[in-house]
Amino acid sequence: MTEKNTDNKKVGVYICYCGGNISDHVDVEEVKKRAEKMPNVVVARTNMFMCSDPGQELIINDLKSGKIDRVVVASCAPSLHEATFRDAIKRAGSNPFIYEHANIREQVSWVHHGEPATDKATILIASAAAKANLLTPLDPIRVEAKKHTTVIGGGIAGIKTAIDIAQTGINVALIEKSSLLGGQLNNLDKLAPSGEKASEVLQELLDQILTHKSITIHTDCEIEAVQGYVGNFSLSISKKSDNKIEKLNIETGAIVMATGAIPYIPFDGEFGFGQHEQVITLQNLIQILKNNKSTGSILEVNGKRIRNIVMIHCVGSRQIPGIHQPKEDGKLNEYCSRTCCAAMLNASNQIKENFPATRIYEMYRDIRTYGRGQEELYTQASANKVVFMRYEANAQPEVSLTRDSDYPFQVKVKDSLTFNEEMDVPADLVVLATGIEPDDVSGLASMMKLPIGTDKFLLEVHPKLRPVEFPITGIFLAGTCQAPMDVGEACNAAGAAAVKASALLRKGFIELDPFVAEVNPNKCQGHGACIEACLKEGALTLVEVDIDGKTVKRAQVTAAMCLGCGACAAVCPEKAIDINGWALKQYEDMVDAIVSDGFAV
Amino acid sequence: MTTINLDFAEELKEYSDDTALECFNCGTCAAICPLVHDNFPRRMIRYIQVGAREKILENSDELWRCLHCGLCTHTCPREADPGEIILGLKRFVVANWRRS
Repeated sequence: MTEKNTDNKKVGVYICYCGGNISDHVDVEEVKKRAEKMPNVVVARTNMFMCSDPGQELIINDLKSGKIDRVVVASCAPSLHEATFRDAIKRAGSNPFIYEHANIREQVSWVHHGEPATDKATILIASAAAKANLLTPLDPIRVEAKKHTTVIGGGIAGIKTAIDIAQTGINVALIEKSSLLGGQLNNLDKLAPSGEKASEVLQELLDQILTHKSITIHTDCEIEAVQGYVGNFSLSISKKSDNKIEKLNIETGAIVMATGAIPYIPFDGEFGFGQHEQVITLQNLIQILKNNKSTGSILEVNGKRIRNIVMIHCVGSRQIPGIHQPKEDGKLNEYCSRTCCAAMLNASNQIKENFPATRIYEMYRDIRTYGRGQEELYTQASANKVVFMRYEANAQPEVSLTRDSDYPFQVKVKDSLTFNEEMDVPADLVVLATGIEPDDVSGLASMMKLPIGTDKFLLEVHPKLRPVEFPITGIFLAGTCQAPMDVGEACNAAGAAAVKASALLRKGFIELDPFVAEVNPNKCQGHGACIEACLKEGALTLVEVDIDGKTVKRAQVTAAMCLGCGACAAVCPEKAIDINGWALKQYEDMVDAIVSDGFAV
Repeated sequence: MTTINLDFAEELKEYSDDTALECFNCGTCAAICPLVHDNFPRRMIRYIQVGAREKILENSDELWRCLHCGLCTHTCPREADPGEIILGLKRFVVANWRRS
């Protein structure tokens, strides 16, 4: 329950030089003098780096001595140091939510100069001090969390996530839609760039997962519904077994999406695919090499001697509007699939080293051997006398059948490495470097309200700083459901998602920021406007309560689900609902401080 | 339009050392060549790499402008020995000239 705030508070203002980042453009000492005159401000101090230990000590000492009971720090963006200063307040024995931040670096000194900068810094501090005066101590929302995680998808990313989570002592359910674990790894052979056998990598993980007591594996399962919130999700699952469908329910604390991706399948006639059996995909070639038993100096495929292979890169990847043919839904794969260059070179090297009489022409747009050990594959392919030809996106190679040659195909290419001259390359086999496409998980994504990017892959919160998290707390992602990745990268992501999920559930409860809606029961009349405006299903409900012997309806907040957006506060005709830490009255006082002329003189 | 001759590298071994596939198309040889002729000897070496046998015969007069000063061989970062390759191509062209 929010503490009533009647008396004026004692606000301390702490202004940072940021080592010149702020003070080069803002007259910090002048701002301090002006701040001292603001209502309810009892002390204003400056420091070269307020985030340093001596800077934090200033705040801690003033709080401990009782000089102040509300804190405003004027420094960089709150995303950088808000947590630092809340923590300092906690160490002084005070409630960390009596804190307000004024951003006078990104919003002032980095974009304004001279007197206007000093004036704007003053105004932002006045506004923060006005809000601080109305701040009340708040408690984090404590949610009991089940020490259990559900991993969706039994490919390499899902398996690795499950094992890593289970090793921290948290139970795991692994849900797989097919009857087989391992996903795309089942279709691979020697993995680029280092050459481990995919089957051995998979077997090593299967040995661990199948014997792990804390992991339950559910194959042949479809997820029908997902409900609940962080720490308390509930999944309804249907499992196919012996021609009957079994229903099961899983209560879980966190969810990891590891739903994977699928190989691109060329359309009928794309470089002759589907029309000639000797036009194959990279995945087909890997299968052929995996099962090949021929021992001569020349590769044989389907009993035919392969004297020359033409490999065409970037098939189904890096597609350009107006040049490439979109799918029926208008979709183009504009991204680079990343794994195909190394996989193609890996296959070429295997062929040249085992069947030196088979020649290889690789036709590429760009060779992207981006990772450790990958450029070496290219160097090795050059040493193995693989011939590279480069085509431009708007002049794709053309595969056609020959009439009077003893080679079945000729591939016409405009080779920019031979000064854009056109050449016909005879071939026995054409291999298309087909890339990775997102699997359709729109059903699951809409159940959990997960964002999907324009490339149709699942979308993380932040590509650099929060790469394995969704904006929905308690749901994570790993592997190729997010973007094209090789096995190593998928395992990296899996490890990160596992640590995130374990850290979240480790304590058995979760503390969430208290910036959520709260209903004033004395004012609420049960109109229900807030429930209609609410963006998050289940966060606000109308419940029946007894008041003076009568049963009436009142709004009730489920704090763990509330997003703190304020849509409810905006529509309530009684002003009976407000957001803790961001109340309407606080906003009003901030605006009053900004528009009053008094401070910036 | 040229049709690639996949056996050309093999055929050329009789006339020249097999160093053309060392070349990674940097163009240093063409930049240093005092003949100021378009992409010489780079283009010829590329023709060998891909197997454009007919292109070499069609453009063979270019080969006789080379004075064998040795600058390309001296500066080649891959030690592909362009000067020796050009000399080899002359032998190849002469041999095929008489035949046709």
